[in-house]
Amino acid sequence: MAVARARRVLPFSGWHLLLMPTALLFALPLVWMVLSSFMPAGDINHYPPRFWPSRISFAGYTGLFQDSDILRWLLNTTIVSVIAIVAHLVLCSLAGYGFARLRFVGRGAAFFLIVATIMVPIQLLMIPTFVMFSRLHLTNSLAAAFVPWLASAFGIFLMRQFFLSLPVELEEAALLDGCNRLQVFWRIVLPLAKPALATLAIFTLLGAWNDLIWPLIAINNQDSFTLQLGLANFQGVRRTQWQLLMAGNVVATLPLLIGFVVAQKQFVQTMTFSGLKG
Amino acid sequence: MRRPSRLTAALAVLALTTLAACSSGSDHSGTTAVTTLDPDKDVTITWWTGQDSEADELLQKLADEYTADHPNVTIDLSPGADTTDDLLQKLQAGFASGDYPDVSYTYGSWASVLGKSGRTLDISDQVAQPDAGWDEFPEAARATATVDGQVIGLPAVVDNLGLIYNTELFDEAGLDYPTDDWTWDDFRAAAKALTDPSKNQFGTAYPTDGGEDTVWRFWPQVWQNGGDVLDDDGMPAFNSQAGVDALEYWRELAVDDQSVYLDQTDQKFEPNFYAGHIGMLISGPWVLYDLKSHKTPYAVAELPGTDGSHQTISGPDLWTLYDHDDSQRAAATFDFINWLTQPAQDVRWNLAYGNLPLRSSAADTPEFAQYGKDYPGADVFFKNLENATTPRPTVVGYTAMSRAVGSAISDVLRGDGDPQDKLDEAADAAKIDLQ
Amino acid sequence: MTATQVRAPDGLGAGESTPARRRRAKPPRSRRTWREQLTGWGFVLPASVIVVGLSVFPAGWAFVISRQKADLISPAENVGWDNYRLILDDPNALEAAKHTLLFTALFVPTSIVAGILLAVALNRPLRFQWFYRTCIFVPFVASAAATGILANFVFDPTYGIADNLLRVLGLPQQGFLEDPNQAMAVLVLICLWGEVGFNVVIYLAALQSIPNDVVEAAVVDGAGPISVFRYVTMPELAPVTVFTAIWQTITALQLFDLVYTTTKGQPGDATVTIVYYLYRQAFELFHAGYGSALAYCVFAVTMVFTGLLVWYARRSGTEAF
Repeated sequence: MAVARARRVLPFSGWHLLLMPTALLFALPLVWMVLSSFMPAGDINHYPPRFWPSRISFAGYTGLFQDSDILRWLLNTTIVSVIAIVAHLVLCSLAGYGFARLRFVGRGAAFFLIVATIMVPIQLLMIPTFVMFSRLHLTNSLAAAFVPWLASAFGIFLMRQFFLSLPVELEEAALLDGCNRLQVFWRIVLPLAKPALATLAIFTLLGAWNDLIWPLIAINNQDSFTLQLGLANFQGVRRTQWQLLMAGNVVATLPLLIGFVVAQKQFVQTMTFSGLKG
Repeated sequence: MRRPSRLTAALAVLALTTLAACSSGSDHSGTTAVTTLDPDKDVTITWWTGQDSEADELLQKLADEYTADHPNVTIDLSPGADTTDDLLQKLQAGFASGDYPDVSYTYGSWASVLGKSGRTLDISDQVAQPDAGWDEFPEAARATATVDGQVIGLPAVVDNLGLIYNTELFDEAGLDYPTDDWTWDDFRAAAKALTDPSKNQFGTAYPTDGGEDTVWRFWPQVWQNGGDVLDDDGMPAFNSQAGVDALEYWRELAVDDQSVYLDQTDQKFEPNFYAGHIGMLISGPWVLYDLKSHKTPYAVAELPGTDGSHQTISGPDLWTLYDHDDSQRAAATFDFINWLTQPAQDVRWNLAYGNLPLRSSAADTPEFAQYGKDYPGADVFFKNLENATTPRPTVVGYTAMSRAVGSAISDVLRGDGDPQDKLDEAADAAKIDLQ
Repeated sequence: MTATQVRAPDGLGAGESTPARRRRAKPPRSRRTWREQLTGWGFVLPASVIVVGLSVFPAGWAFVISRQKADLISPAENVGWDNYRLILDDPNALEAAKHTLLFTALFVPTSIVAGILLAVALNRPLRFQWFYRTCIFVPFVASAAATGILANFVFDPTYGIADNLLRVLGLPQQGFLEDPNQAMAVLVLICLWGEVGFNVVIYLAALQSIPNDVVEAAVVDGAGPISVFRYVTMPELAPVTVFTAIWQTITALQLFDLVYTTTKGQPGDATVTIVYYLYRQAFELFHAGYGSALAYCVFAVTMVFTGLLVWYARRSGTEAF
């Protein structure tokens, strides 16, 4: 808290001294990624890597949009991500609320089982998961990419912990007024949980959008390629198409940053009105 | 909400019923006879190329050309995975589920394991036909594709290691260019003279990621010293005096002379050479394309020698063919891949991509002459195939042994440990897998 | 053993014991009816079926494999518990486990402290907050390829920015990722840089649910910023901290991607983590059976660690709240 006290000697809040350098340090890779995506081939192949382009080149972007299927990949990834977010928001918040507030037989065991599913290293589950999807004829289609993203232990666990930190008074009052649980959940709890829902949405977006190892196993059909899968093919064993890769990475990252800016409005908004009145 | 729960309920039931079936291993025998392609019967084959998108475009064009000539054949081209390493996991998943391609790119070192899968096609009879031109492939490539007497695929890429040097740095240092009777002592002296710490300039480079890239560079010197990787019983022989001498040689360069740029990432040493910070590189024809695009002043020689032996190594990759109990598919797959490796096609794929031609007959084509002009030094690598006389072992335990040897080499080059001790340790570790 | 396992999840909700000002008597147990049971299961069933359904078969399959000599290509052979026994005699597995534990011990506490600190800072009414928040989230969205390239570039002993910085400051040059004694610590730094955004976002959201009037009341009562943080903010963050601690512990124990994109276990296997080791065994060296056995050991250890965290959270929960 010493930073806070620095306010008295500085013309601005001492928090800036912490935040400004941290923010710049954290933004660095993005800055470099953007800069390198505008580098001519000579710069981008240069060793050691350059930070500033010697001149601006759009070759990466023109190549990306003219010679690759980026628009299809973007569409596929968007479909997967939207399905993932909607399903997560509905299913994980319901389950998270159930595990946080409702009492029923087997609750502990069920929740334990869910958390335990993430304790086996995922690398070894890829192949049997593929076998399972293959038997269900789900491979080689977009369904292969989104089915694992319909709900997750992460989402359930996160929402449960958020609901636990919400006050119970309003819910109890509403129950006494004759609301059923679903009404309580919909009218009372969800409005209070906006920051948590925004958090879940942004993490789900991020996970589904950037997922590579599962689509790599599950999808061969080029029509069902996701963005990350398409970008991965710019990198070969012996050769990498750096211009395309960097431009592609910028195109892939931009929607995520926009998504984050939108989601963070939820954090800011609730700051001024406290969630609980009375 | 009802759909997912019904789906996953089905999953749970399925999980229990398939558990036993999947763990019992392969039920295929890999005995489908490869016949000639029936031109009236429609057939679809799946092809995993293991290439990046640029190479896939070339291959897609060739596939289109083939299907135009064979209207009853459809070829589903997919990269499978962008790197060959990732293809292994894809094949494992494919075999486990029964959902695998008709032909895929594979490392030569996987051949022995794949040969035991019971999923590969046996094309021994086809390549034995007089018109198949099997002898036109380099010996090392033929040996790699042959597992327990059965041929399971055709070579996809052939290569070998040579000495690539930066002519400008040699001129600056006032050194004579390497010749065909260079020895490793000459190499060491040149590396020392080319090293200049003030300019971050190194005489040579060695990848020390401990993978096969570390290891296969080591074998030619073991062979030149009269040693071998494995003995007649298939047990480690690399920790013989020949092996120890070879590793001690590199230890002296790396630790005593400090003339070697050690690259534990395996990603930086080649770009460093392109950028003119490294005098000599032991590498193969795959760097020619990048050397050209970086306009690096270079020339190629065969490897330095020991007592007149300039033995090198070849690490061929394969198009491995798989059995689906369908003779028409098997016929189409062989016919297509055989067509692909013919000089008329190969010059538009391997040569266009900077790789060596697969068949010696390709040397007579005008494209090969042009290739030699486009990629200076390619002719040296092509001639150098003759120096790849000993094939890399193709036993099942090779990969695990390679990992142990790779760690030994990396440790010694970093100055950690004695060559004899480290190679003995590696030999002990490798025995389990070689049995 | 089974009894404690099944009981454990109750404890995951250490935050259920809410601060005193909100404590209410729980509804009497007799009111639990079949209706309540149905409601409860109705809420949790769809998501649970998906999550568990997608995991049961793969996990069972991996277990079967772990008792086989299998390469997932040629026919497998049952070997009982041999793979598990082999682990005990494998010095490389032990080394990998040590690296992983070191990483976890360094990474988890720092990521939580840094996450809370940054979230508190980002939650203040300051100018440029929008910019700061977005920046801190950047490494979290940047692709693994870009992060890997950049990390290797920053810490390159020949050309890296980090070494140039040391040179300017007149400090001795370091090997960073190429020095076996430093490499793991450098990985912790890179991982913090990449992962702290995760904790920050979670804590930022959690800070929103702290009612302003509670903070104001404390301030009116004369509490300074440190007291407010200690007695008002911290207890409110407890349930979420249970989550971040467990989640980041699991992430750290299963560290793989970063090693794969930066060091591949080098130098001298000094950065081989246990999951990287089992991946290498299963998918490079054709030891899928052994790799699966290692995976189940990771599973068991993770379970123990989670249990310890839950136990600790419960204990401090009953004492502190």
